[in-house]
Amino acid sequence: MARRQRVEAEPAYVLHARPWRETSLLLEVLTLEHGRLALVAKGARRPGSQLRSVLLTFQPLVLGWSGAGEVRTLTRADWAGGVPLPQGRALWCGYYLNELVLRLLAREDPHREVFLAYDAAVRALAAGEPLAPVLRRFELAFLAALGYGLDWPHTVAGRYRFEPHRGLVPLMEGESAPGEVVLSAQTLEDLRAGCWSRPATLAEVRALTRRLIDHALDGQELQARRMLRELLE
Amino acid sequence: MPTPLDELIEALRCLPGVGARSAQRMAHHLLQRDRRGAQRLARAIEAALTTLTHCARCNAFSETTVCARCSDPARDATLVCVVESPADMEAIEQTHSYRGLYYVLMGRLSPLDGIGPKELELERLLERLAAPEVREVVLATNFTNEGEATAHWIAERVRARGLAVTRLARGVPLGGELEYVDPATVAHALIDRRRLDAT
Repeated sequence: MARRQRVEAEPAYVLHARPWRETSLLLEVLTLEHGRLALVAKGARRPGSQLRSVLLTFQPLVLGWSGAGEVRTLTRADWAGGVPLPQGRALWCGYYLNELVLRLLAREDPHREVFLAYDAAVRALAAGEPLAPVLRRFELAFLAALGYGLDWPHTVAGRYRFEPHRGLVPLMEGESAPGEVVLSAQTLEDLRAGCWSRPATLAEVRALTRRLIDHALDGQELQARRMLRELLE
Repeated sequence: MPTPLDELIEALRCLPGVGARSAQRMAHHLLQRDRRGAQRLARAIEAALTTLTHCARCNAFSETTVCARCSDPARDATLVCVVESPADMEAIEQTHSYRGLYYVLMGRLSPLDGIGPKELELERLLERLAAPEVREVVLATNFTNEGEATAHWIAERVRARGLAVTRLARGVPLGGELEYVDPATVAHALIDRRRLDAT
């Protein structure tokens, strides 16, 4: 049982909202210092509720709450502003981020770096930046926070095969690894430098994060990914 | 074996926002205070279930295969307005400013609730829009992120077929004083600002 808590003003994002009782919303939020939380926004579904235009996903908010137990009560919600709603495909990518966080980050497990990475990703999506690097940067930061980080080789040369349990395994010259995630030295260099201009880097890192996420999800399918795929068909 | 009373209470709980206590209160009220009302309710549900279907063209509830609105020759068949719910359709009808036809989605895409294009039967909408007379699709889904995501999904598919796609404008409400409008609305009205050309 969680202890009684009163928080006045905390940077946060709404990840998901669903109707609760007659006029309320049950929110899943990601906060800077308190991790992921469930909050009830009482009266948020009344016509003319001031909360309606505030409790939107992909908008930086300042929230306050109180209470004990699994679900706290929202006591304050202010719109922090400055970020337009992501448009089009960027919005779908935003849902993908939210679903990742909801599926893989346990409630009440504070990870400042997850919030900061999420905040950076949402701002980049809203600004219309190229989508793939934004998603890969977030996935890597998120996975690292969850303990799925990569152990970097001291010096990189040749190519590496990636296995969820063993990490990066050097490949012999000319050795092939069909169906496996293979990263080149150049990709590892690009990753370290934060350089996303090479298409091969993006493709290899995508395969890597996908393998890690599938491993972490343990067979569950991501709805947002499925729908994004249907959209692109 | 549940008693008829238990069964009634349990059945009432299928209504949105009705929990065990409200269901019990409703059941007692119907049986004790308003038996005629209860009979009327039972008959109305029975009749609605047997006579109402979804209109083949607009997907709203209808007694006939094609509803009265869709078969009205006075309406402009080149325009189709896509809305989330029958209530949204009525909201647009009340403006007396729209003479086109509708398509009611009966929901919206919501990836995190598992409601995708298949669940919402968006293929039916695309089939409807394939009718040769349709020239423009007006997307009037709500201005929530789910509504926006739904609009985007439809727009991508419809544009590929060479139809004009428009979206309901977003901005400061009529008669709204900026001082009292919520900041998120003002922010998006700024993003969507338009040039005032000399007329």
